Amino acid sequence: MSVMRWRNPIIAPAFALALPLAAVWWSFPEGLPLWRSIAIVTAWAGSALLVANLALVVREPHLARLLGGLEPAYLWHHRSGLTAYLLLLCHPLALAVDGWLEAPQLAWQTLAPWTQSWPVWLGWAALLLLMLGLATTFALRLPYRRWRAFHYALGLGVVLGLTHVYVLLGGVELILVLIALAGLALGWRLIASDLGVASYPYRVTQVARPATGMIEVNLAPSAAALAVAPGQFVLLACGDGVRFRGCGEYHPFTVTSVAADGQVKLAIKALGPCTQRIQTIEPGVQVRLQGPFGTFLREASTAPQLWIAGGVGITPFIAALRAHPCAQPTTLIYLFRNAADAAFLDELNAYAQTDPQFELRSVETGKAPVDFPGLLQQVSQLAQREVNLCGPAPLVQALMPHLLQLGVDPNAIHSERFDFR
Amino acid sequence: MMRKLFIAATLLFWLAVLGFWVTDAWLPVPPAVAVEKRYTLQELARHNQPNDCWMAIDGMVYDFSTYLPQHPSEPSVMLPWCGKEATQAFLTKTKGRPHSSYASQLLPTYRIGRLGAVDESPSGN
Repeated sequence: MSVMRWRNPIIAPAFALALPLAAVWWSFPEGLPLWRSIAIVTAWAGSALLVANLALVVREPHLARLLGGLEPAYLWHHRSGLTAYLLLLCHPLALAVDGWLEAPQLAWQTLAPWTQSWPVWLGWAALLLLMLGLATTFALRLPYRRWRAFHYALGLGVVLGLTHVYVLLGGVELILVLIALAGLALGWRLIASDLGVASYPYRVTQVARPATGMIEVNLAPSAAALAVAPGQFVLLACGDGVRFRGCGEYHPFTVTSVAADGQVKLAIKALGPCTQRIQTIEPGVQVRLQGPFGTFLREASTAPQLWIAGGVGITPFIAALRAHPCAQPTTLIYLFRNAADAAFLDELNAYAQTDPQFELRSVETGKAPVDFPGLLQQVSQLAQREVNLCGPAPLVQALMPHLLQLGVDPNAIHSERFDFR
Repeated sequence: MMRKLFIAATLLFWLAVLGFWVTDAWLPVPPAVAVEKRYTLQELARHNQPNDCWMAIDGMVYDFSTYLPQHPSEPSVMLPWCGKEATQAFLTKTKGRPHSSYASQLLPTYRIGRLGAVDESPSGN
């Protein structure tokens, strides 16, 4: 899930670039041949960028807030990862060119692993792991679990790469700093986040089925409760029940209700093997939550609202409606494939009848293409509205040009998607 | 976009590596570096300038003239050892610490021969 407009779009890229720039400044060679200098600069910049890249996926709520949300953090994680890879590809090639200029035979000797020793093999292993990890990252239709396993290979690649530098150069200050930062980021991500040490225990108290292939679980805190707000999402990992077996991995879900006593509700749609299994969860199962994350619907605005939900994208809006009546005129366009998919429709109709500020336009789309211009033109004062979109990425992408064409300010459009890797 | 960039960069990388390999295979084998050439300490001592710097380390003679500008430390650290037997200097970089294995690995690149007269070589016994 993601928020498209960020509070400060500079922080995440600045965070990603600060470390490599510092590394280049610190290590910039003087008086060395050009290609050897390029090899040194690309190695340090690439290594430091990889460490910053790890820090961007720590998935700690305070850090995520500082970075403007998980979306910009993940976007810059992707960009910095690829840039680091490109820089590190240049490193051995620049060394080879440097060798070539001295004697052409030296170029291949610089590259061929069998002419080198284990410190250089470590570098090659790191580069090949990065190559493999990124190839699988970019592979289409790779199941989540396999994708995640290959992503750990990327982490191992970073570790081997830093070891390669350490063995070659000894304990120079910069490599020690990079190793410490990488260890902190990887350790935090693996222990606090993936293993759930920093998570909050909750217990399933109720399971409802608001639509086909979707459940809504009510969770009561077993200890301290998360300070979560409507529009935000949490990461959930399920334990085992009497008959239910949880898959143990964390997945993001938007809250659909936040009660004063700390209880929360989450809507979980069967979108993959793990969420499919969670459909059979039963009351009494212990779960763990991390978060909260996201800033969707969190910006105070006095402008009239247009909410557009596609399918399970209704979740942040139902959470907001359950929390309090609408403060401004609010129109919700709710798009769903068929009546069986329309979660919370009765409840939404009830809000439309009792809240004079709230207007519901529910649209059963079937399989036919949706007439977006027609739908949007029915909304009064469209250009003055603050627009919040939540749904599958194709829906958000399809709606964007129509909204802009009809005069909506691009800065007034906020969107939450449902892809999170 | 990022996917295409990854694929293009990876392909170019391997093409470049392949290019270096093919070129190496096609290049004439360089005349055997005088690996077994013998130098005496007197001969070694004549190469004691920054632009003509030989050293003997562990029985081998190295020509560090081209490496000198690349050495991480100040030139004043390495220069005094030009033209000399420098095994101890190599093994005790600073505060008794030996050079890294990378430094050891660099050595063969600069090797030009052995220390000692021809008749002292083991093969000559």
